[in-house]
Amino acid sequence: MFSEIFRFELRQQLKSPLFWMIAFAFGALAFAAAGSDHIRLGGGIGNTHRNAPFVVVQMLTIFTILGMFLVTVFVAGAALRDFDAGTAEMFFATPLSRGAYLGGRFAAGYVAAIGVLVVVALGLLTGVLMPWVDPARLGPTSLGTYLYAFGVAVLPDMFFLSALMFLLATLTRSMLGTYIGLIAFFVLWQIAAVATDSPDHLTLGAIIDPFGLGAFDVATRYWSAEERNTRLPELVGLLLVNRVVWLAAGVALVAATIAWFRPDREGLRLWRRKPKTAAAALVEPAHHTMTLPPVTLHGGAAARFSQYFKLAAFDMRGVLFGVAFLVMLAFGMINLGGFLALSNELFGTKIYPVTHQMTEAMDGSYNFLLIIIIAFYAGELVWRERSAHISEVTDAYSLPDFIPLLSKLTAMIAVIVVFLAAGALECVGYQLIRGYTHFEPGLYLSYIALNTLRFALVGALALFLQVIANNKFLGYLLIVIYFVSRIALAQLHFDHNLYNFGSAPGLPYSDMNGYGHFLAGHLWFRAYWASLATALLVVAALFWVRGTAQGWKERSRIARQRFGTAPRALLAASLLAFAGLGVWIYYNTNIINRYVPGDTAKRQQADYEKRYRQYRDLPQPKITDVKVDVDLYPHDRKVDVRGHYVLANKTGQPISDLHMRLPYEMKVIALDFAPHDVVSDDRIQGYTIYKLKTPLAPGATMNFDYTLQGWSRGFRNTPDDYHIVDNGTLLDSRMLPHFGYDENGQLQDRNDRREYGLPPAPRMPKIDDESARQYNLLGRDADWVTFETTISTVPDQIALAPGYLEKEWTETNPSGQARRYFHYKMDKPILDFFSFQSARYAVKKDTLDGISLEVYYHPEHAYNVDRIMDSMKKSLSYYGTAFAPFQFRQMRILEFPGYERFAQSFANTVPFSESIGFTADLRDPESIDYAFYVTAHEVGHQWWAHQVIGAFLQGVTMLDETFAQYSALMVQEKEYGPAKMRKFLKYELDRYLRGRSGEVVEEMPLALNENQQYIHYRKGSVVMYALKDYLGQALVDRTLARYDHDKAFQQPPYTTTREFLDYLKEDAGPQWFSLITDLFEKITIFDDRVTAVTAKKRDDGRYDVTLALHTGKIYADGVGKETKATFDVPVDIGVFAKSPDGQEQNEKVLFLEKRKVADGDSSITVTVDGEPYEAGIDPYNKLVDRVSDDNRMRATLQ
Amino acid sequence: MLTIRGLSKTYANGVQALKDVSLEIPNGMFGLLGPNGAGKSTLMRTIATLQDADSGSIHLNDLDVLADKPAARRLLGYLPQEFGVYPKVSAEAMLDHFAVLKGVVVHGERKALVDALLKQVNLWDVRKRKLGTFSGGMRQRFGIAQALIGNPRLIIVDEPTAGLDPEERNRFLNLLAEIGENVVVILSTHIVEDVTDLCPRMAIIAQGQLRLTGQPAEAIRALDGRVWRKTVANAAIDDYRQRMTVLSTRLAGGKTILHVLADASPEGGFEAVTPDLEDVYFGQLRMHAAARAA
Repeated sequence: MFSEIFRFELRQQLKSPLFWMIAFAFGALAFAAAGSDHIRLGGGIGNTHRNAPFVVVQMLTIFTILGMFLVTVFVAGAALRDFDAGTAEMFFATPLSRGAYLGGRFAAGYVAAIGVLVVVALGLLTGVLMPWVDPARLGPTSLGTYLYAFGVAVLPDMFFLSALMFLLATLTRSMLGTYIGLIAFFVLWQIAAVATDSPDHLTLGAIIDPFGLGAFDVATRYWSAEERNTRLPELVGLLLVNRVVWLAAGVALVAATIAWFRPDREGLRLWRRKPKTAAAALVEPAHHTMTLPPVTLHGGAAARFSQYFKLAAFDMRGVLFGVAFLVMLAFGMINLGGFLALSNELFGTKIYPVTHQMTEAMDGSYNFLLIIIIAFYAGELVWRERSAHISEVTDAYSLPDFIPLLSKLTAMIAVIVVFLAAGALECVGYQLIRGYTHFEPGLYLSYIALNTLRFALVGALALFLQVIANNKFLGYLLIVIYFVSRIALAQLHFDHNLYNFGSAPGLPYSDMNGYGHFLAGHLWFRAYWASLATALLVVAALFWVRGTAQGWKERSRIARQRFGTAPRALLAASLLAFAGLGVWIYYNTNIINRYVPGDTAKRQQADYEKRYRQYRDLPQPKITDVKVDVDLYPHDRKVDVRGHYVLANKTGQPISDLHMRLPYEMKVIALDFAPHDVVSDDRIQGYTIYKLKTPLAPGATMNFDYTLQGWSRGFRNTPDDYHIVDNGTLLDSRMLPHFGYDENGQLQDRNDRREYGLPPAPRMPKIDDESARQYNLLGRDADWVTFETTISTVPDQIALAPGYLEKEWTETNPSGQARRYFHYKMDKPILDFFSFQSARYAVKKDTLDGISLEVYYHPEHAYNVDRIMDSMKKSLSYYGTAFAPFQFRQMRILEFPGYERFAQSFANTVPFSESIGFTADLRDPESIDYAFYVTAHEVGHQWWAHQVIGAFLQGVTMLDETFAQYSALMVQEKEYGPAKMRKFLKYELDRYLRGRSGEVVEEMPLALNENQQYIHYRKGSVVMYALKDYLGQALVDRTLARYDHDKAFQQPPYTTTREFLDYLKEDAGPQWFSLITDLFEKITIFDDRVTAVTAKKRDDGRYDVTLALHTGKIYADGVGKETKATFDVPVDIGVFAKSPDGQEQNEKVLFLEKRKVADGDSSITVTVDGEPYEAGIDPYNKLVDRVSDDNRMRATLQ
Repeated sequence: MLTIRGLSKTYANGVQALKDVSLEIPNGMFGLLGPNGAGKSTLMRTIATLQDADSGSIHLNDLDVLADKPAARRLLGYLPQEFGVYPKVSAEAMLDHFAVLKGVVVHGERKALVDALLKQVNLWDVRKRKLGTFSGGMRQRFGIAQALIGNPRLIIVDEPTAGLDPEERNRFLNLLAEIGENVVVILSTHIVEDVTDLCPRMAIIAQGQLRLTGQPAEAIRALDGRVWRKTVANAAIDDYRQRMTVLSTRLAGGKTILHVLADASPEGGFEAVTPDLEDVYFGQLRMHAAARAA
């Protein structure tokens, strides 16, 4: 019986064109994803092969998850088939067993779903064989990989999913119900994934992920490219547990389906209504004649409006009380709640729920559901009357053709507003819960209005497509094609908003600058698309089907009939507006601004390198004096620059060619320097070559005067003109002329480089390249310079630049505007690296030992100003004592809009983004205070960059970033204690280990790193902390002080990490040489774990604790190939009593000592005073170890 | 007076639903009789402006229905053969909604009208109930209520009595008869009694063609003395069918009663019966079949 049902059902499935459509579409997607970079679903990056086992398993799993919503049609379809076709009662009247019936249907649906994944696998297999795939990015294809992927991932994943769908379909007897259930499951899965996405919850996350991605991630989290290319995780541990758990869950779901299945008409009902009391007896009405009150049928404008309004309200109620909408709303709100509760963290510390953060949370976790709601309800609304068979009645009413369409659009918009408003209310509730009461109703309202406009445009398109298609499913297909095409077009660099329906430039919001000038451009685009949407709606009204479904011929005949004066006028007006706005937008984005599609930008970058890299080593003068006047016009987004350089020839040969670089945005008004000819002037690349009539002799200097203008006019296709803004301008010395070729402008991604015909990216100069020591990290055209600036702005803003304020005054400029001027001057040379800022600031001032301290902040962001000030003080006093005196007499921190997320240290001046630190919510004393930490780091750069700057070669960023990290760690540890440091370092270690598995070129040891952030920041923190732990803080500080003393303000040749390590070895002594080498000069990974802990109470009341240990050390090369080494460093052995509150940071340390432990397995016994609870090796995770959870273990008392 | 001239319609799949149909329909009930698939619904839907004909014209008095649909719709009340309701909406709310759509936008007028209609169709007591809980008869009465909104001059009801129990059917037809006194009411049906009982005038349509039009009594009179009846064994029916024009067969007590059309008694055992409209109807259908076979 089972096999008959199975075969019958499978035949039905395979006969369905939908099966083949979905299988083909998915196979094509897999084919494309495997063979090109334009579609990315997981996949290999950098050194990982496109067809690496890791990638194949990951892609097949992702396809399985993506397929969830499509294969529902097969699996749920199998469960619903007989109910939909009305054949159910015939089947259940046969002596067929429930198990055979359900089992057969389920098995066939499952097999069909797996069939789709088999086609996907074929797509992946063939995709990488295509001739356009770079063979360098392929490894051998192995059948085993696919067997593993199906055995471990696809088959069990799909089994669970199918069981879930089958259960949902059986219980709800509705496809919609099944989908809603699936979406609920999907949202829960996402919440669980987000909730467990931190290094603290890896194990839980690995088990509760039904698809095993979490467990797979734990097993492969820190794999190198080499491992990803050759290995697959063994089916043990968490992965095995996960697979077994979810396979069992699938079986349980199938069993539940069979148990709960009811063949009767009603299906399963969780509750049954009580029967009503006996129906009223039917009374035959007395015969009476027809009398109806007289009524008038109105047809005027007022009546039309009233009809429109009532119909819109009626349609709106239909949607708002529809199950699908309510379910989506509930999911959205759950998702948003989860997102709010769990996101916006840095190092586990939350930021204040300022309103614009709330709206960003809605963008990220809530609004996407509107896409589904719109797509779904466009179909529902257009087909509402027809699916309820009411159109037969209403179509014969004397209602004008356009009213139903207009009502449906209105209902759609109302639904969008309600949905957004519900999200906003939830955000307000969240703000209240967090005790935040600075609500900004205006911002919420404008956010709702802007997003309503955005989604209403999509809604108009969806309605249009539904009307034109005149087939609900074709309509759905068309709208899906629209969504897919938007993604695909962006991937293919067709990224102009002029031809992507409904799109507009992003609208970055900053508390400092509001929506700023971005709003105008955004709204122009919206108006442009709204005009087209109006035209589409007119066409839709013309083709609105009334009466019997008709063919195209008949529909166009009716459309022509309806095409009277009003629609003609409206269509013409909207198309004219569309064209006119299009021209206006084109003028703004492409004429007065430059539009560069993504691929063109890359080609231009490649051209830059191809044309000018030949001049990299051409001798150029260096800047020695800078005097620059900057007039900022924040409201006009304009800057006028008049500058004066002194250039010196510090080389040994005459210089006749001057190569000037200037960003495209800066226009040259005038240049004045020694007599010269223009050899070439490349404005696209901003690279001009001048030939000096008299070469600049070695040792000679020349003046170089310039007048420049930067003016952001109109609006752009992407909102990247955020440097000069109404409130919160931040410009830096990149806007000024520079000399010689700049390697930073080169194309970095190695695949892009290959595509645009460039050799593999040139690497940083080797550490022993003596010639490179002529130049420091910040550029080749200056060493230390004098600096003076007069910067002016509007009267209500404060303008700042490095240096000390000499004078401040207000005067009226020739065009009659009042201007505020600030004259800043440095009294000693600094690096050629300046910032220019202007905003309406509040200022907090303080002093420390004659150093004046200032924080400039947005008045609404006063939360952490005191912490930042405190950090400045503590940092300055620590570094001033431990390393060297502070070279300036003033230190300033300045907030700038969150368009960019960084803080950067200029001489005595630190621009600090509003999105980090200023709005961190530090009220919880347990949280990591990163406002304090980032400040300490940036102040650290006043020593480690602005005193000691390294030569631009391998390892150089260790000398500024790693040392700034170390400095900040020490200040932070002093402030918050070692327990919090451990929490912080755990994040740093995890980010380092994940960073190295994403390496695309080559992982370098710390002291040779090539500006690799995961190394100089993340590994830097871990390594420096370990170094301090082994050698002692005093010794490390002393070495840094000695090094600073010798190298500060050094002229070329600049220092290197090799010099620093010599200082360190000298101070540490030979017993630490091998550790220093392991930490700085090699990629060293430790594998320490405790395998058993037993404790025995002694007669004297003390305890003998015996730890069975495993130690190991490996060296990895740049692509992760590992070689075993001998574990030879002393390591912490710790024994701990139970902490009273369960928090690790409050536990009592019974024993903690560095011990020499043999390589491999060994055991060690220590005696402690109190009752041991836990014990371990390297219990505080000071060494780089891929599995940090196995370093401790609960003690077993004997 | 509704005047239909030369109406033809062929669907995209080649089915010719109407072939040159011409009809004159005065005020009062007009029965449109025909088997399933005869083209009744196509004709009704075309009159109701829901479908265009390939050729031909429809005039209501001076109004060209096909050319000026908006004007025609203002005079129209239509109860389609199959129509749905929003199951979760109450009868009163739905009727109110319909009244707005028809143009009764003045609130007071509308309220009075809806109340009167609900009373008229005897749904007053259940006006707050959700339409999804209505029985077939209640739904049909609700349907006629919406068709009566706005004093229509032309009412079209398409097979309204199918599926109703006898009591509901009676009540429904009484209602129609009352309405039909001053306006054109077209009642399409395949149930002969509906027409016999109610309609002063009628038409029979089959295979898209108008077979007969006129008063039922006249049509019946034309068959006087030509309808014969005999009770025969079930097994013999086919034999009779081959030899004579069998109008209808009906089982009674295990045997079959035949009605046969013939100018004189076809053979022994037949007795003359008084013809009724059903005989007329089947007679038209058989004649048509015979004509086709010939």
